[in-house]
Formats: sequence, C-alpha cells, structure tokens
Amino acid sequence: MTPPSGPSTEAWRPHARLAAACSALAALVLVTVAAVVVWSWREDLPDPVASHWSGAGRPDGFMSLGTFVLTTVAMVVGCSLLFGAIGWFRGAASSTRRTVAAATVWVGGFGATLLLGTVATQRGLDDAAQATAPGTALALALLVPLVPAAVAAWLVPGDPHRPAVAPPDADAARTRLGPGERAVWIRRVGGGPALAAGGVAVVGTALLAVFLQVWAMLVAPVLLALAVAAMFAFTVRVDATGLTVRSVLGWPRTHVPADEIERARVSRVSPLRDFGGWGWRVGAGGRTGVVLRAGESLEVERTGGRGLVVTVDDAATAASLLNTVAERAR
Amino acid sequence: MLWRIDPASDEPLYSQLVAQVHLAAARGEVAPGDRLPAARELAESLELNIHTVLKAYQQLRDQGLIELRRGRGAVVTGAAARDLSPVEKALAAFLAAARDARLSPQATTTLVKEAMKR
Repeated sequence: MTPPSGPSTEAWRPHARLAAACSALAALVLVTVAAVVVWSWREDLPDPVASHWSGAGRPDGFMSLGTFVLTTVAMVVGCSLLFGAIGWFRGAASSTRRTVAAATVWVGGFGATLLLGTVATQRGLDDAAQATAPGTALALALLVPLVPAAVAAWLVPGDPHRPAVAPPDADAARTRLGPGERAVWIRRVGGGPALAAGGVAVVGTALLAVFLQVWAMLVAPVLLALAVAAMFAFTVRVDATGLTVRSVLGWPRTHVPADEIERARVSRVSPLRDFGGWGWRVGAGGRTGVVLRAGESLEVERTGGRGLVVTVDDAATAASLLNTVAERAR
Repeated sequence: MLWRIDPASDEPLYSQLVAQVHLAAARGEVAPGDRLPAARELAESLELNIHTVLKAYQQLRDQGLIELRRGRGAVVTGAAARDLSPVEKALAAFLAAARDARLSPQATTTLVKEAMKR
C-alpha cells in the first residue's frame, strides 16, 4: 500500500508547509502574550505559585513563576512541533491541513488560558497554599480556544477541483451498468474496538470528575463523548457523484467527486501500523483514513496524491461501482 | 447493499427497489436489524422522487420485510432472513429445462407470470 509519487502528486506541499508554519506561529504568539501578561503580575503573586491542585481542591504542587511559565510554553511548543510535523509531511488533503491548524491553535489557546486562569486567582495572595482550585479556569481553558481554532480551520483554503485526466486502469474492477442504469451503494459502519475504547474513556473521565468532585472537569467526558459519536459511526455512500463518507452526526464528512477518482480498490488495513490508531486519521504519504477496525477496506486514489481509506465490509462492490462512476464522469 | 435502477425497464421504479431488497435479504447482504438508507438519501443518489422510495418502503413493510419506525427509519425484520436457496435451486432447474426446450426468455417469463396468476 504505497501511494504513487511524482511532481503532480506533490503540489500540496507548499500549502501544507504554510498552514503548519502559520498555525504554529499563532499558537506561539497566543502563549507568549499570556506569558508576558502573567509575568507583569509577578509583584502581586506569591513565590512560589501553586501549579497543581489535589482532588480535594488544595494546591499540592508549587513552582516559581518563571518555571511555571516556561513549562506551559514548552508544552505548547512541543505540541505545535508535533502537530506541525504532521501537517508539514502529511497535509496532502485540505481536511488534514485544517485539522492540524485547528489543533495547533487550540493548544496555543489552551496554554494561554490555563496560564492566565490559574495565576489570575493567586494575585494578592501572600501564600500560594491559599489558592483555590481553578475548576472554572480549566473548563474555560478547554472551551475558549475552540473559537480561534475554528477561525484557523476556516482560514485554511480548500483544495482546488482537480479532475483526473485518464479513466481508471482497464484492470480495475467495474460494475456492469446499462446505458441509462443508475446505481448506489450505501453501508453503515460503526462500533468495533475503537467505540468500546472511547466508551471506556468517557465513563472513566466522568467517574474521575465525580470522584474528585471537580464538576468543571465534566467538560472533558462531554467533549470526549461528542468526539466518539462523531468519529465512530459513519455512512459510506457510492453514487454517480462519487464517494461520500459522513458521520452519523453529519460532521465530519468528506466527499470525493467521481471525476477526481483515479482508481478504487479493496485493501487491508492495520490501524496501528498504517494509521497509528483508530478514528479519522492521517497516515503515511498524507492518506486520510476512516479506520474503525483492522481488515477489509475501500481505498481510493484521488488526484493530487490524496488517498482515502475507509474500513468497510463489502468493499469490493463499492470499489467496482466507484471505478464505473469514475469512468462515466470522464 | 447495492441498489440499481433502470428507467428504461418496463418494471415500475418502486418495484425494482422492492425486488432488490428481497434479493439482498435472500443473499444475506442485509440481515435482520440492519437499517436501510434514509429514503431521502436513496432518492437523491438514484435521482428518484422521494415518494418512489417511500412507496417501495411501504410495500416492503406491508410484505413484512421491514419495519418503519419514526426516528429509526427502515429496519429489516426477522422475516427477511428466510432461506431462499430452495427457490433459487428450483429456479435454476426450471431455467435449465426452459433452455433445453428452446423457450425464448420472453416466453419463459410469460409462463411464470401465467402460473402465478392461477
């Protein structure tokens, strides 16, 4: 399963580099501004400041202000580098570039709000041991950065329409259709080990929040539950317009127009080896994967080096119909 | 499952859909508990009027093959799991006999239709 390479499949690289670099820069700016603001408060702050709270809401970790700021900035820089690398090397599809931009900016915003929120409540205290648990600050730090993240995703331009030049190879499987005959293949995919793992994570974080009685932490299982619902139940549809993969929530979704399909085939997926996990993923060479289990999958080669892999049963029927509609669209 | 529609065929569009669900159920391509696509989605993809799809779904419900539930859509029932292999076996034998007798496809179909009217 190696994707084809060549000059025509490399056109995405400048876009990927720009999106990765700009979003990393934005994340760095956000956290730096917060660091400068927090540093300007240093005369009003206890030394050391509280940096960690126990379940009972008492501070149990302390750091000098400088170390706390540096740790937060280092966390943001580390995540930006990781996400940036994914975008830089694998951002073939605009959906990948958008996700990378959003995640990077979110991390920057998270670091910034966390820093501001936890330190702001300690202003005027003589001793950091009196600092109250920043439950609300944590919830805000998770939610507020979603706004700049959405803006970042919106700012990343989409892929231009890039029709394929030749029909799928003659040896690619086809569905025989009469001249006026129309066909559609629809299948739902869902469940699998990924859903079970997601469910465990949701229940686990919810129990942890209840056990620690940090109610603001309930934001985490709610966000997780939404992510699981969005990621682990899909409808896969092949019709005259091409391939559509759509979450049961309506988002995320992706559409590969019939005239951009170079070839469809059945392949086998190993979630960890090919995509590093389950869900909506990006794999080697910038292929997008909707991976819910190991085994049979529908693999589509799209123009511009953008591959799409969806784990779905009866993929052979889907692949041959896709080759047929791709040929009809030429 | 794969749905196909041939507007050039004499068979009404909705009954083409009905026949395909019967076939898919017989071949095990849809199992009891499976959900058929939303009528709107199927209609859009096949460029059909949504009422054509709804008519097909209603007929399938009247035949007991699916249940129509508000909010859950069309769910395939246990009745769909009927084993049609004896029918397919008998059909293969019938077609072989028809071929041996040099009956035209039209004449063969007419024979079946006549027999079903009795």
